[in-house]
Amino acid sequence: MKYVKLFCIFVGLVCAFSSRAELDISGYGSIIAGKTLGTVDDPINLGERRDEVFTADFYDVGQYNNDITFKAESILAVQGVYTISSELSITAQLVAKGVDDFEPEFDWYYVTYRPNTDWTFMAGRRNIPMYYYSEFSEVGYAYPWMRPPANLYWWQITQFNGFHAAYSFQLGSLNHTITAFYGDERDEENKEMQYYEVLYGNTEVYRVDEFWTNIMGLNWVIEGDFFDIRMVYFTNDRDRTRYFNDGSTSVSTPFSQTFMGIGGAVHWQAWTLLFDWNFVDYDDTRGTEFPTYLISLVYNWDTFQPFIAYSKADHERTKVPTEDLEEHKLWSFGVRWDFHSNVAFKFQFDHFTDQGYAPTQWNYHGDARVISMGIDFVF
Amino acid sequence: MPALHHKVVRQVVLTCVSLFAVTASYAEIAVVVHPANNSTLDKNAIERIFMGKNTNFDNGRAALPINAAKGSATREVFNSAVIGRSDAQVNAYWSKLLFTGKGTPPKELGSDQDIIATVSANEDAIGYIDAAAVTSAVKVVATFQ
Repeated sequence: MKYVKLFCIFVGLVCAFSSRAELDISGYGSIIAGKTLGTVDDPINLGERRDEVFTADFYDVGQYNNDITFKAESILAVQGVYTISSELSITAQLVAKGVDDFEPEFDWYYVTYRPNTDWTFMAGRRNIPMYYYSEFSEVGYAYPWMRPPANLYWWQITQFNGFHAAYSFQLGSLNHTITAFYGDERDEENKEMQYYEVLYGNTEVYRVDEFWTNIMGLNWVIEGDFFDIRMVYFTNDRDRTRYFNDGSTSVSTPFSQTFMGIGGAVHWQAWTLLFDWNFVDYDDTRGTEFPTYLISLVYNWDTFQPFIAYSKADHERTKVPTEDLEEHKLWSFGVRWDFHSNVAFKFQFDHFTDQGYAPTQWNYHGDARVISMGIDFVF
Repeated sequence: MPALHHKVVRQVVLTCVSLFAVTASYAEIAVVVHPANNSTLDKNAIERIFMGKNTNFDNGRAALPINAAKGSATREVFNSAVIGRSDAQVNAYWSKLLFTGKGTPPKELGSDQDIIATVSANEDAIGYIDAAAVTSAVKVVATFQ
């Protein structure tokens, strides 16, 4: 509640002291309920059965099991943009998530400087522009599905503090925007990494800190009238510290990570094709790689958008070749219905198949079939 | 019986056609600018301005696009005929840009009269209204239905 008060004070001050009160308030949200449909052999506690568990939000560990819950991925967000001048503005997003018992936090805050229509500079806290949907993955209203495929959007870090410089230009009928970014994220008490410690029964670990530093890269977006393509490349350094109950700590061997990808959307008559291909590469001793992709087809029929999506994630080691690692695929079917001018109802069925290698317990997710439904809105 | 069946089908088809014709004629829209705006505005140029891809008219001045209210008949016709996408698709497009700080959707005005008042008072404004509501205070650059 501390943040709500701070935000109210911020809004009050802005209104009181600004002669022109150039504050624009908008927001988005999702109220979604869901559950998994059955049970599976527990991949880690061998010989036991457990509920199918589907992770809808890896970063926040928002999960569905056999009990209906609204908390896995419901979210409410308010954005305030305070325009100081035609070149300068301040943006903040106060976000309350079901996984945090709706305790609001300032997830985004940044200053934007636009000296002319070609250049945009931003500094502050924003999402890392990784996958095609990474920057707006929580704005459910912006895409047809319930969520971007959770088996790709699985990273323990999604945000960073940093700088962005974007240059926009037009070539023929195509709009280009090239964005360079640089920043750091030092996440103390990382929720997702702590979840894995608990999952594997490492009860002696009570805290994991995850550091992604020197995050440095480029996005290149090309937009035509009927399509857009986005390319991404960035590198960063990776460090991790685990804290044990006996007071000791362990620091993992640092390595650097490279992320690249190409994704986009093509609109053809009533059809929309959405795709994203990505490749993550570590310079560690194992030569770790994560090739992932997504392909989805949407039919736009009046206020209805039935869709189908397929996504696939793999884990490879090129220096010590083995297939005994993590691998999974996800089929999603559903429909979005825009029954109101700024509210959409969605219904989705997901079938997650864990293709990880059982003897090494890299199949730790387990198969899951999940039904979810709810509304996404903007205001 | 086949004759009766044929008659019923014909009646249904005719009813549908006439309903469609009524809807279409009601929903003709006019894209309007200030009478002093001399820029060239074809369908593609209008689309690019309303999608935030062009921020200027071809006369060099900054363009100020104005949308009709969400859910209005004119907005639905504009999105479908000019943008080539449904209201939902266009709203989704803008929500992606708005909440990542990469764009701001056009301002909205509640009525054709408000749009005429703003466009006639601002040389940089561009809007769309029901073609039947056009007055001499604004210049029509295109019509769509």
